[in-house]
Amino acid sequence: MNVDRGELGQRYRSLAGFTLLFDNEGFLWEPADWTEEVAIELARENGIDVLTEDHWKVIKFMREFYFAYGKAPLNKQLRKGTGLSIQQIEKLFPLGIKKSARLIAGLPNPRACL
Amino acid sequence: MKRVKLTVNGLDYEVVVDEDLTLLDLLRDELHLTGAKQSCDKKGQCGACTVLMNGRAVKSCLFKVAKLDGADIITVEGLGTPDNPHLIQEAFALSGAIQCGFCTPGMIMATKALLDKNNNPTTEEIKKALRGNLCRCTGYVKIIDAVKLAGRFIRGEITPDEVRPDPEGDKVGVSHPRPTALEKACGTARYTADYLVPGAMELAAVHSPYAHAKIKNIDFSEAEKMPGVVGFMTAKDIKGTNRLVMNIDDRPLLCEDKVRYIGDPVAVVAALTRKQAREAAKAVKVEYELLPVISTPEEGMAEGAVRVHDDKPNLCFTHPQIKGDAEKALKESAYVVEAHFKTQLNHQAPLEPEASVAYLEEDEDGEEQLVVVGRSINIHKHLGVLQDALGFDNIVYEEAVSGGQFGMKVEITSEGIAGAAALHFRRPVRYVPSLEESMQLTPKRHPYDMHVKIGADSNGRLTDYDIDFIVDNGAYHSNGDVIINRSLRMLSGSYNIPNVKAMAKLVYTNNPWGSSARGAGPPQTNFALECAVNMLAYKMGIDPLQFRLQNSLQPGQSKSTGTVVKEWPFPVVCEAIKPYYEKALEEVAKYRSGNIVRGIGIAAGSFGIGSPGDKAIVYVELEPDDSITIYGAIADPGEGNESMLTQLAADVLELPLDKIRLYTRRTDKTTATGPAAGSRMTYMAGGALVDGCEQLKKAMEECGAKTYEALKKAGKPTRYTGNKKTLTAGPLDKETGQGPAYESEVHAVQMAEVEVNKETGEVRIVKMTTAVDSGPVINRLNYEGQLEGGADMGAGFALREVFVAGETKDWKTFKFPTMDTAFDMESIITETPRLRGTRGGSTGVGEMTMVPTAPAIVSAIYDAVGVWITDLPATPEKIKAALQKK
Repeated sequence: MNVDRGELGQRYRSLAGFTLLFDNEGFLWEPADWTEEVAIELARENGIDVLTEDHWKVIKFMREFYFAYGKAPLNKQLRKGTGLSIQQIEKLFPLGIKKSARLIAGLPNPRACL
Repeated sequence: MKRVKLTVNGLDYEVVVDEDLTLLDLLRDELHLTGAKQSCDKKGQCGACTVLMNGRAVKSCLFKVAKLDGADIITVEGLGTPDNPHLIQEAFALSGAIQCGFCTPGMIMATKALLDKNNNPTTEEIKKALRGNLCRCTGYVKIIDAVKLAGRFIRGEITPDEVRPDPEGDKVGVSHPRPTALEKACGTARYTADYLVPGAMELAAVHSPYAHAKIKNIDFSEAEKMPGVVGFMTAKDIKGTNRLVMNIDDRPLLCEDKVRYIGDPVAVVAALTRKQAREAAKAVKVEYELLPVISTPEEGMAEGAVRVHDDKPNLCFTHPQIKGDAEKALKESAYVVEAHFKTQLNHQAPLEPEASVAYLEEDEDGEEQLVVVGRSINIHKHLGVLQDALGFDNIVYEEAVSGGQFGMKVEITSEGIAGAAALHFRRPVRYVPSLEESMQLTPKRHPYDMHVKIGADSNGRLTDYDIDFIVDNGAYHSNGDVIINRSLRMLSGSYNIPNVKAMAKLVYTNNPWGSSARGAGPPQTNFALECAVNMLAYKMGIDPLQFRLQNSLQPGQSKSTGTVVKEWPFPVVCEAIKPYYEKALEEVAKYRSGNIVRGIGIAAGSFGIGSPGDKAIVYVELEPDDSITIYGAIADPGEGNESMLTQLAADVLELPLDKIRLYTRRTDKTTATGPAAGSRMTYMAGGALVDGCEQLKKAMEECGAKTYEALKKAGKPTRYTGNKKTLTAGPLDKETGQGPAYESEVHAVQMAEVEVNKETGEVRIVKMTTAVDSGPVINRLNYEGQLEGGADMGAGFALREVFVAGETKDWKTFKFPTMDTAFDMESIITETPRLRGTRGGSTGVGEMTMVPTAPAIVSAIYDAVGVWITDLPATPEKIKAALQKK
């Protein structure tokens, strides 16, 4: 029954020793604010206690793709870029590729309106 | 059926037609001549389908082919091509008369008929000849200019080459024709409904006739017996979340258990033809259980009110703003004005219906890919929305040429239905909703209800501004919180107001849902502020323009957000309009007596550009033929972004304009660079483009390369990433509303001169004069076009337009602006560079242009007849009633 007060689009919170800006879905606002420590904390919040080599492979590919193409990869691009199947990636990130892997990788949501 | 012989564009046809087939449908659907457009549900209201029939301009939607034996038809395609255009087509392109272009073919054909008879028409003759042709973008000013220029071409007084700016000359600050102007003028630009998809099924949706009801049952048994019907789709057939999410996941693609406003889509019918689909949709029987209707925010907030969304309170969002000590300041103010303002639910009213096309294809890897063609101005956001809603990842979104948008296309509408249907039926589909359906599907401008107090000291300095405003969210949230934040970030307008107290509330109702609409929040709150400023100035006996000048914010002072500004060239526009204002004051004195009297109203606005946390990325690539391709999802539904990109890149790289190519409409190769909204594209995407171009230029200079080959040989990349982001980010403080605001502003003062009939309450706008400064102008004709179209839209908002669910169904009931309501306009443009503006300091102007219009007009009405109409629109009935009470 809470009335939402303030801006739904952006909110600050502390993570891995930083005060970081997130959007209302929990995605980092600024991808340059991301660090590996931030990823580890975000992963924990997403129920992933340890980021394995395959997790990092997915995360690093996502970031490389974002900085090369200015957007998040489609699943087919993720599959090609990591050599992992979508089923494998979904198993690595049980809350979902978009909602969890992208979020941990520090990719922003496309801007809605400003 | 009837066999008919007719000639179209010089070719003879013999066709066997159904008695009901219209000429428009023959042209578009059978002959694939898509220059003639359909907007008004074949009611003859818009003129977008105008063609020549035996030399006469006619609306092709009103004629049955069966009765046209022997007719000689010429469509816009019959006049010329982009490579070999007719003089009238050139005149439209060179006059800046083409924005979205949806009305253009019809305008050109009406012009052809006029000039064939009279090649030197007066303004009144032009208005008369084109009065059946509607335009939402231009305010008609440049269209009238184009007809006059075409007359000069035809009379041989001047040639297009003499008018056309030198393509080798200066690139910025010059009105080079838009890159797509001639395609639009010649009818070859492809809007979504123009896409040829042979064999595609046509869709129609079943919409709720009730504002609030439970869906008990949907019965397709009668509909499925109807001819051509292929199948049906309901929410159960959608594999993803079935939610179209802007900020909150409250809006279903198709309603599940409940409908929440008149027009909510419930089911979809697919058939072989559009007519069959629409007929079958009428035969679908939906059983509803009616629920209490929340008609107003007050009802929504009442104790025990039924919830519009079971899991959310109707009062769903609030935000205060507190600066200084408003209570104390108000008590100490020498002068105080208190007033109540209301603005209406309104439709943005682009001419083009909400069309979408969707189909499955094999991508380059042989995988199934869904292609959705639509009208989005934020294709990457909407790609993500579709992926979630449909539960399908491999999607390409393609923005067709868009027939206007004015904010509403930040939201997704028909693409959801088309995409879901292509997946469900596994066949290509076209969804071309009627105008009435398009009005139902789309979001509207939020109504605001505002209680205001404003104070000043005895020296005429503003001391305090208090405003409580309630925003009617309608049935779905969309970006309601953003709209409120935009209002708060620009709350103190152009002024230094040391003390501010505001509270904003957003409330769900069962009205049509709100979202972005040109200006998106500030036009509503600025209406209250600017009228209140005038009320205060009149009360104090100070000239309204002088009052604004003496209360202008100054560098070092802060806005209502507490943000200290470094630059504030608002006084520049006040000074610029002064001589025009003084002259108008003299003129109006001649019209103060009698039944029809004149008045003058001044209003201002300072509109934020570059929101906190905004960012844009654009790629620039040097191609093997030494041309440049710009990659970025930068929509241009008419504002002129294609000109902006082309001219800026050509300027920085010192290239001819035809060496610049744009790849902006598909998600596959573009960057996600945000919506073409918030007047942000010149500042943000333009800034990123300039950055990318400068990097490329530097790389070429460093190795002395003049060509692609030389750059490659030097081992340098040919692709460069341009970035621009605003310097601050973050939300306003939730308790005080203090925090980062827009990092630049466009400033304007508008003067309305109106004539009011005291007996009837009718208002005629004699002239609108706008002094504006948004930094250096890249393309003056495009810029003026924004000013004129925006003022025309602002006048509609002020005087006529209102959307009533269930009653507003077409352009007539909407009271669309026409040549008859058009008025004279003058633009005074000053160009003060901004610190972080693009390429010498440019910002953006597309929305500001209507922000001061309504308060200027309403203040002019007060000046004329002494009554304040504070509840928009200021209709003759309201004015008459107020005069009778006076």
